[in-house]
Amino acid sequence: MAEKQETGIGGLQAFLADRGYYVLGVFLFLAVWQAASTLKLFGNDFSEAFSPVAAFLALIEMAKNGDIVHHAIPSLRRVLVSLVLAIVFALPVGVLVGYFKSLEKLTYVPFQFMRMISPLAWMPIAIIMFGVGDVSVTFLLWLVAIWPLILNTVHGAGRVSPLWLNMARTMGAGDKGILSKIIIPAAIPDMLTGLRLAVGVSWIILVPAEMLGVPDGLGYFILDTRDRFRYDQLMATIFIIGLIGYLLDSANRWLISRFAWKI
Amino acid sequence: MDQTIDGTGFCGKKTLISLKGISKKYLKNGRDIVAVKDCDLDIGENEFMVIVGPTGSGKSTLLKLIGGFETPTTGAITVGDSPVKGPGSDRGMIFQEYALLPWRSVLQNVELGLEFQYGKRAENKALAMEYIDMVGLSAAVNKHPVELSGGMKRRASLAMILVTKPKILLMDGPFNALDSKTKLTLHTEITRIWKHEHNTIIFVTSELDEAVKLSERIAVMNRDGRISKIFTNDLPRPRFGKAALEPQFHHRFIELREEVMNEVKAAAGKTVCDYGL
Repeated sequence: MAEKQETGIGGLQAFLADRGYYVLGVFLFLAVWQAASTLKLFGNDFSEAFSPVAAFLALIEMAKNGDIVHHAIPSLRRVLVSLVLAIVFALPVGVLVGYFKSLEKLTYVPFQFMRMISPLAWMPIAIIMFGVGDVSVTFLLWLVAIWPLILNTVHGAGRVSPLWLNMARTMGAGDKGILSKIIIPAAIPDMLTGLRLAVGVSWIILVPAEMLGVPDGLGYFILDTRDRFRYDQLMATIFIIGLIGYLLDSANRWLISRFAWKI
Repeated sequence: MDQTIDGTGFCGKKTLISLKGISKKYLKNGRDIVAVKDCDLDIGENEFMVIVGPTGSGKSTLLKLIGGFETPTTGAITVGDSPVKGPGSDRGMIFQEYALLPWRSVLQNVELGLEFQYGKRAENKALAMEYIDMVGLSAAVNKHPVELSGGMKRRASLAMILVTKPKILLMDGPFNALDSKTKLTLHTEITRIWKHEHNTIIFVTSELDEAVKLSERIAVMNRDGRISKIFTNDLPRPRFGKAALEPQFHHRFIELREEVMNEVKAAAGKTVCDYGL
């Protein structure tokens, strides 16, 4: 009997260790948010409209009237388009730079320099080049996504052991075979890490980029709710941004666990 | 001292690999290191040549030169009628280190060479399995290199090269650090493959038992990176199983090993020889 109880506690502990703490974390997060708005911890300007309860009600309202879909779809579209363009550009560049040591040295300073510049700093240039609108936003997102992709792919392609190349050559491998069967698979874990970072940083930059004169998207909607004093909707939008970002990152983690080989 | 063979080759075998005046110098810490010096060596078609010598005598370097992974400082190496300009699929090299691809399973690793040569085919799997079986890894076909022990990795890399059936096999201490049962199996198998597929094998080792068991000729390299002597191994075949228990066979085996050991000891010079009893 006592033994049974012990396994019961053990089972609960195992559950808590596995999933329970995650769930608890979510509730604590919501509780702190609710307490902060009820107790007006951030000052009297923050009304009950900022609370999770209000945000939740606004969320239901926005789901019903279609606001969420109307703004989330263009945001996702911009991020995905720019990511695809970034992948198409960055992976070949990364493989080349990683494989040829001279190219790596040649590009090291410019790349490290460029990656530290917020893409928003390029905003005026983007607008001169592409005008206000979707193209500029996509360009800025592309610009932020390429660096983690390039630099991680460089690292991955640089990790190719000379031994593997020698062995492949004694087996009669041509350049194409070496590229497709040795270099690219060797770089895949780093490419996926680069993708995860790129998705994260793109999603973060999306919101300010969508404040630059596009007529829809979650970033645009943040400004819109502010202008309409709908702080419950503002909080709901912030919640949506966080949620989509979390789901995108989870998808990436799944990709990594599925396709990245372990050393 | 060098016993190079003429055009007719060793035991009437046609010369396949020819080394003429081969030297290899490295620059290490601002000093020239001579790894291989003035080596002349002709290796016949379908010959089993074993190279022995003290550590640091340039055995592995010599093998890498033949493989085309290094270029000689002086001299020329020809295979058939063409000079060696780099690695090629006619010369399969089995490295001291393991060259397994970590993202591929044992089976997929062994299939790699077949994919390079023939693309993806249905037959690849059966052929790969045959060689995996031969090296005794059937139970580990779906394991990845990270899950294998050192000996298993070595056997997998062996299967990986053997399956491509190279005309020339360059083996750099391929059976080092294997347990004696696996070693015996692989000695028998490599002899069988050599007889069956008529490939030419150049085998570097530091174990004299192995050298005497496998070779047709044994070249001893000394500390200067020279070939000091070439022994012709007249030990009768078969050399495994019952035949190896015959007193005359055993006597000749010990005798030959003694001769080679004395040469290796001499080759090691004043430094402590790693073959000491």
